[in-house]
Amino acid sequence: MRFKSGYRRLLAIATVVAGLGLAGCSSSPASSSSSSGGTTTVGFIMVGNRDDYGYNQAVYSASQTVQKDLSKVKVITADNIPENDTVTRTMQSMVDSGAKIIFATSYGYYPYALKFAQANPSVYVFHQGGYLNGKFPPNFGTYWGEAFEPVSLGGMAAGAVTKTHKLGFVYAFPISQTIGNIDAFELGAQMTDPSAQTYIVNTSNWCDPLKQKEAAQALLSQGVDVLTQHQDCQATVIEAAKAANAYVVGYHYDAKSLDPSGWLTGSAWNWAPVYENIINAVTGGHFAGSQYNANWVGTFANNDNPLTLASFGTSVDSATQQKILSEEDLLKQPDESVFKGPIYAQDGSVIFPAGTTPTYAQINNLTQLVKGVVGSLPKS
Amino acid sequence: MNGIEQALIGGVDGGTAILLPGLGELVSQRSGVVNLGTEGCMLAGALASYAAAVDFHSAWVGVVIGMLAGSLCGGLHAWLVVKRKADQLASGLVIWFLALGVTSVFGSSFINKSVPPIAIWKIPLLGSIPWVGRILFDHDGLVYLSFVLVAAVWFLLYRTRMGLTLRATGERPEVVAATGGHPDRVKFLAVMLGAGLAGIGGAQLSVGYVDNWFNDMTNGYGFVAVAVVLFAAWRPVTVFLGSMMFGVALAAASVIQAHGIAVNQYLLDSLPYVITLIALVAFSRRGSSQAPEGLSKALTSSG
Amino acid sequence: MSDTIAPPMQEQETDGQKPSWKRPQLFDLVSKKAGSDSFLKRLAWALGAYVGVLVIFGIVVEIKGANAFSVLSTMIHETLLRSDSLQQAALRAVPVTLAALAVAIPARAGMVNVGGEGQLIVGAVAASGIGVALGGSAPGPIGWAVMLLAGAAAGGLWGGICGWLRTGMGANEAVTTLLMNFIANDLMLYLIYQPWKDPHSSGQPESRPLHSALQLPALFGSQINLGVILAATVALVVWVAMKYSGWGFALRVVGGNPEAARRAGLGVNRLMLSSMVAGGALAGIGGMLNLAGVELQLRPDITATFGYIAFLASWLGRHDPLKVVGASVLFSAIAVSGDGLQLNYGLDGTVTDILLGLIVVAPLFLSKRRLVSGGTR
Repeated sequence: MRFKSGYRRLLAIATVVAGLGLAGCSSSPASSSSSSGGTTTVGFIMVGNRDDYGYNQAVYSASQTVQKDLSKVKVITADNIPENDTVTRTMQSMVDSGAKIIFATSYGYYPYALKFAQANPSVYVFHQGGYLNGKFPPNFGTYWGEAFEPVSLGGMAAGAVTKTHKLGFVYAFPISQTIGNIDAFELGAQMTDPSAQTYIVNTSNWCDPLKQKEAAQALLSQGVDVLTQHQDCQATVIEAAKAANAYVVGYHYDAKSLDPSGWLTGSAWNWAPVYENIINAVTGGHFAGSQYNANWVGTFANNDNPLTLASFGTSVDSATQQKILSEEDLLKQPDESVFKGPIYAQDGSVIFPAGTTPTYAQINNLTQLVKGVVGSLPKS
Repeated sequence: MNGIEQALIGGVDGGTAILLPGLGELVSQRSGVVNLGTEGCMLAGALASYAAAVDFHSAWVGVVIGMLAGSLCGGLHAWLVVKRKADQLASGLVIWFLALGVTSVFGSSFINKSVPPIAIWKIPLLGSIPWVGRILFDHDGLVYLSFVLVAAVWFLLYRTRMGLTLRATGERPEVVAATGGHPDRVKFLAVMLGAGLAGIGGAQLSVGYVDNWFNDMTNGYGFVAVAVVLFAAWRPVTVFLGSMMFGVALAAASVIQAHGIAVNQYLLDSLPYVITLIALVAFSRRGSSQAPEGLSKALTSSG
Repeated sequence: MSDTIAPPMQEQETDGQKPSWKRPQLFDLVSKKAGSDSFLKRLAWALGAYVGVLVIFGIVVEIKGANAFSVLSTMIHETLLRSDSLQQAALRAVPVTLAALAVAIPARAGMVNVGGEGQLIVGAVAASGIGVALGGSAPGPIGWAVMLLAGAAAGGLWGGICGWLRTGMGANEAVTTLLMNFIANDLMLYLIYQPWKDPHSSGQPESRPLHSALQLPALFGSQINLGVILAATVALVVWVAMKYSGWGFALRVVGGNPEAARRAGLGVNRLMLSSMVAGGALAGIGGMLNLAGVELQLRPDITATFGYIAFLASWLGRHDPLKVVGASVLFSAIAVSGDGLQLNYGLDGTVTDILLGLIVVAPLFLSKRRLVSGGTR
């Protein structure tokens, strides 16, 4: 008796499920329309919230610009997608919704994006910030900018206002981009304050406001009076600086509105031109073998760096602004770089000898912190 | 300011977000109900308080709303386990998933709205005591509220008739019933009160500490609170100490780094759990487990 | 109140002796006083409960400005009616199912294992450690076997520690398994943050990926990999062992009435411990299969609360192996169905957590008879 009821229960579940299935069939709107009528569907996947005043908001607002600018493109977006196999399923859902081009915009999506591109030759997959050492599939590309250039300009602003000569850098992971940014920030600060030191604290998360707050507090009570960060979301660190009457240099997105007087400047992504060029290359049929079917990196020198200098806050005097702007012009010259030698490591050894200008690949492979940075990276 | 002092100050800030739900969980468990949904009730409190603070331009209105949201969340758990005799652990996890889903779905429209922060207030006399003053008495109002609540919960449990009934309900509900009490009602109230404190704990995170709302922002604090109660062997003052221990362990990683020393924080992070485990085993081994009998029964009789 | 605790679904099997009271079941789909209600009546209650779930879920969706009917039909279309999503659900169900069985087996012996999450993690950690050490030196099948054993051993150890703390030290296993989840997670983070970090990954904390020879192959040109077959096989073995082996029977006796079991000469402690080791080992295998089949390297988000979802799945399936598998697959399908909602409706993917929670509590909300016969009886 009991035994039977178990099966009946299963039968009941089956009936319910089947009923739902039927209901679904009868009232189905044709939701998955594939690319018809010459429209190309483009998907953007973000790791955090699209309103994070940071990395993801920069991606989202650029995706909306793309939607406005390109009439034959339909943009679909997904945010809060974690860096695990969920991103594969999200890419698949996008393809099912007709997407032909997918931008996987978080660093940790890289292995999934590459694998997805290899498994789906008819879909074009682009990874933001990755770097492939090897042969590119004909439907895959990575793109990024020389982030350290504008970051060094932010460092100049920080050096100009600091009274304690201590700057704080809240970072997420010791990835190569971040090491480059920390170094560039310190080098920029030294241009306006030779005795400036940068203290570093990591959070091991792209956006964990609690950890950010702890990190910011620890730095502030250490005497730091300018904070900057390499985090996806920046509101928490900005608010923490504001509460302590400290200054802040932003990253990813122009968040001056959060604290106009504490905000010095920062770097802000302008992704829309890059996205549009890539989409046009694909829809124009000349993608394979193009510069985007590779590790594309925008630079000041080529006048196509997607990372730009953000607006100045009210606390940056005009002399400092002029200095920063002229440094920006200088960096646009060929063979100029904030890493132009001599550059010394923390232990005093030479990283880049005098008279040399390192290539992007060299800077992107940096594993050492420059002299003036206080703290060390977790070693693997 | 030296590093130890910084870690302790950070520990008090972070520890408060464990202490509040920890006290709540203590009240709940003393009545014989474990609430693994504490994490979810914190999330509900964090979002509700943040949203209310944005709408009403007042952090303290937010705190009250956060507490109510937490209680509501606890009410659901209480109803499931008290009225429907649902398994406590499973029900708690259900509450967690429901809260995770609801707060993520409705929270997205509140991210990065600005709220009036809860002001830091240095207590006049106490705050100027060297060392201790800066560590304990230079924080925001919610931190002080949590200190007061430690005493209040202690008083409630050990010095009031209500507390006696509550503890009796956790030990021998049938005796309470036989003497004309209403054990179910007591449990209901205790769980809702406890979850209300968890809601304030959530508010401490969103409105008090971080000034922001993020999906899943409690990040395991609710589970830590459950662990703290076990570590403390169901005693309010030890809950306070345990919360601060967890808080300091969490804050230490940042402080050590800010002093220029690279650290792999995860071994440090796991330490409080290991200590809790050892404490738990030691209590059980001595046979002096302070666990309310009804609670032990509820935990072992899942079946 | 008696402290005799009845394990689910088996009263008729414990020596023909009915326990003095039966704890009402949380996740019983249909209110049951066996035989007193007609099948149709119970079916009606079931339908009512799940229609109620959909109504509440629909209200949430409507508040967020999406059309409830089209959201539901999208979920159904994109999950149940598309082979691709079904395959994704099957892949996801591998760790969830095994972690759910890790709850179900100890539950038979009256033990509560909340540690599926941690056991999944240490299984993956052990498999990754062995797998990376093997590199490409071992042919696939041998490598898989070694990794599987390592995962099972680690998971079994993790569960076994808690089992031993219970039987040897008297520490409550529901609590210790929960604590061990956090320790396992911190252990993994510690390893991938420094000692095991992939030196070629340019900084993100992740272990070296498994050599391609050790990755579980996809079968028949689909996304389904060998792990799905292995998991299904393991589930079948568990079902047979629970139902027909002397061990399975002894566990049920212990779970039904430990005192009686002790008097009958059963090694109660050893049986309880064995159930925790076996459960932990299953979850460890789940962690290994998820690593070798899907994730390929350790990363911070690798388990994504699978272990807790599994706990609920075991409850929904009332710790009966076959039903537990069904519940695990259902939950996995629901999670997969959420992926498309963002694209079409702008709903956060976690909206499916609401659906999951509601499904688990639905019977309690809507069954009127339960309201009447609620307490002990």
